[in-house]
Amino acid sequence: MWRALWTVSALELRARLRDGTAIVIALIVPVTLATLFGLALGGDDPPLKATVGFVDLDGGEFPASVRREVMAAKELKGSVTLRDLPSREQAGRELESGAIGSAIVFPAGFSASVGAGKGGDVAVLKTPESPLAGVVASAIVDRISAVVDARTLAVRAVLRAGVPGDQVKELVERNGAAGPAIGLADDPLAGGKIDLSVYYGSGMAALFAFFVVGASFRGLLTERKLGTLDRIRAAPVAAWVPVAGKAAVGFALAVAGALLNWGASVLIFGSTWGDPAAVTVVLVAHVLAAAAITMLVTSRVRTDAQADGVIMVVSFVAAFFGGSLVPVYNLPGPLQTVALLTPNGWTSKALTELAGSGAGLAAVALPVGVLCAIALTAGGLAVLGFRKGLLL
Amino acid sequence: MTALETASAPATTATPALACRGLSKRYGDVVAVEDVGFAIAPGQAYGLLGPNGAGKTTTISMLVGLLRPDSGTVLVGGTDLAADPTRAKAKIGYVPQEIALYPELTGRENLRFFGRLFGLPRRRLAARIDEVLDLIGLTDRADTKLGTYSGGMKRRINIGAALLHRPEVLILDEPTVGVDPQSRKAILDGVERLVEEGMALLYTSHYMEEIERVCERAAIIDHGRIIADGTRRELVSLVGTADKVELVLDGDVETAFAKLRAVEGVVEAARTGASSVRLIAEGGRYLLPALITAVDGSATVTATQVIEPDLEATFLHLTGSTLRD
Repeated sequence: MWRALWTVSALELRARLRDGTAIVIALIVPVTLATLFGLALGGDDPPLKATVGFVDLDGGEFPASVRREVMAAKELKGSVTLRDLPSREQAGRELESGAIGSAIVFPAGFSASVGAGKGGDVAVLKTPESPLAGVVASAIVDRISAVVDARTLAVRAVLRAGVPGDQVKELVERNGAAGPAIGLADDPLAGGKIDLSVYYGSGMAALFAFFVVGASFRGLLTERKLGTLDRIRAAPVAAWVPVAGKAAVGFALAVAGALLNWGASVLIFGSTWGDPAAVTVVLVAHVLAAAAITMLVTSRVRTDAQADGVIMVVSFVAAFFGGSLVPVYNLPGPLQTVALLTPNGWTSKALTELAGSGAGLAAVALPVGVLCAIALTAGGLAVLGFRKGLLL
Repeated sequence: MTALETASAPATTATPALACRGLSKRYGDVVAVEDVGFAIAPGQAYGLLGPNGAGKTTTISMLVGLLRPDSGTVLVGGTDLAADPTRAKAKIGYVPQEIALYPELTGRENLRFFGRLFGLPRRRLAARIDEVLDLIGLTDRADTKLGTYSGGMKRRINIGAALLHRPEVLILDEPTVGVDPQSRKAILDGVERLVEEGMALLYTSHYMEEIERVCERAAIIDHGRIIADGTRRELVSLVGTADKVELVLDGDVETAFAKLRAVEGVVEAARTGASSVRLIAEGGRYLLPALITAVDGSATVTATQVIEPDLEATFLHLTGSTLRD
């Protein structure tokens, strides 16, 4: 039986390599598109060279601490530049001219207000032209906000306990609720991605994995039309051999394509996708899910032309909502939730985690588990569908 | 003398190379095949005769394991197809109606691919490919792409791919559709040689003359049921001694046709053209003067042809339609 499986796989591999589709779909097009996206959207985009305006109308300890932490953060070195600006109006003009990508504005009396337990508002100025610079500024302010909340709560608690006003500051700082300890270094972008070459490289790999495996399953329908599928089935081979033979080749080509995309991204942009073992596991799990989904499509359509159309629609919808074409953090909130209904969303989430934090396999166990579950579910439904048409 | 004429009773003593019993297949309310059964002995050629849509291909699909029957059994060389499909299929050579080959491969590569599926060892397969190419007369074109072959050459490779593993039974589904006379002759010669060498053959066609030439026995299938089964003599005897008489008329053909139908001895009558009619008549050759007299005054008989009873007449008699309807 294994010999028959190898015979079918060898023919499929030969056909795919001979007509050139495997190399074009698995490697040339995704690498080219990822490179173009990376160059077009990544070259001057603020997150790669983000300039964030800094308006300090307060002059107190909070803005000073934030400036100090941002400048000291290793992860932001070379990527984020703070430019001091005298007023909110000036920041608006600079933003409009494109000189800065976003701005953070500390109002007058901010530090005093926080010190009195009254909290305070920090404004973030953003522009749609530089979305990722906006993400950087928002992430910084989120951190400030957390510290301010903690400080405000602590001050109120101390005041309510009857501590005299002139002793509050000292008591709060002595007990670990000191305002300026912001610590941006570990997670500067709150899960966002800076390196667009990684984003688009993995996005294109995820998208084109569908096309690569889909082409093999589509081949089943072409063979049914040619009559060769029936001829194979009439031979003394197990019913699963034609499907498995094509699936094995599609899977192998798609995995190879994804790995080559990764390699190309490293070579062209010098980007780092993260722990190699974990990245490989995520890519394999993604291809597995893509294979199962395209197999499900193939099991439910009648012709190879229908399969082409449906696989294309499914692939692009999954790619769009899953963040392969547009970064997930740029999507509205509800769509970010929808992203998790697609394998691309989980793949993107896993690769973001790996690229952003240097984490290992354990950090992506959940996304990999979800991708495997998608593969099992779609694959199971596909087998039931095949039984009615292509197997028996 | 045709193969059907020389045949006697079916061989039933040896284990049949192919036997089926009670085969039925329905698609919703539509009965595709119902209670089909026959047996083919080793070295026997059996024809399945019927018009398009009669159930021939559905029957064959069940015989080769492509379609699961709703009921019935298939035994290939004594092996139950449902119980041990791998072993049973290894004994079958299946030639589908369409050219089921890869156009981007050469003839030899196509044969190698299908030979491997039957588990032939590499060296033995290479030798068998050469033998088969010689048998089908395509040795000189073996290494050119199938896409460049003529229709007849493709048909021959289509058959060759089913012969590599020396099957016990060869199943040919309309193997000569769309081929030139030269290739058709080559195919029929080759098939006859295989039968002489002891291979069992199931041959479906709606070319009556092919069935008459190749097969010892035949079944007539219509609307999914076998309505007659036997040697040529047995089948033809079903229409009695009636001859087929074809007349070409000049004049009031409609009135003349009505008069011809009324002539005593005419069993069936059909209009076959604007000025031609076909009659099935008891002792038709002796009835000719009466037929000419009958139309006198309405039309003139300008041409006549009397054909002795054959499978075509039998088919017409049993189904009420011609094979090519």
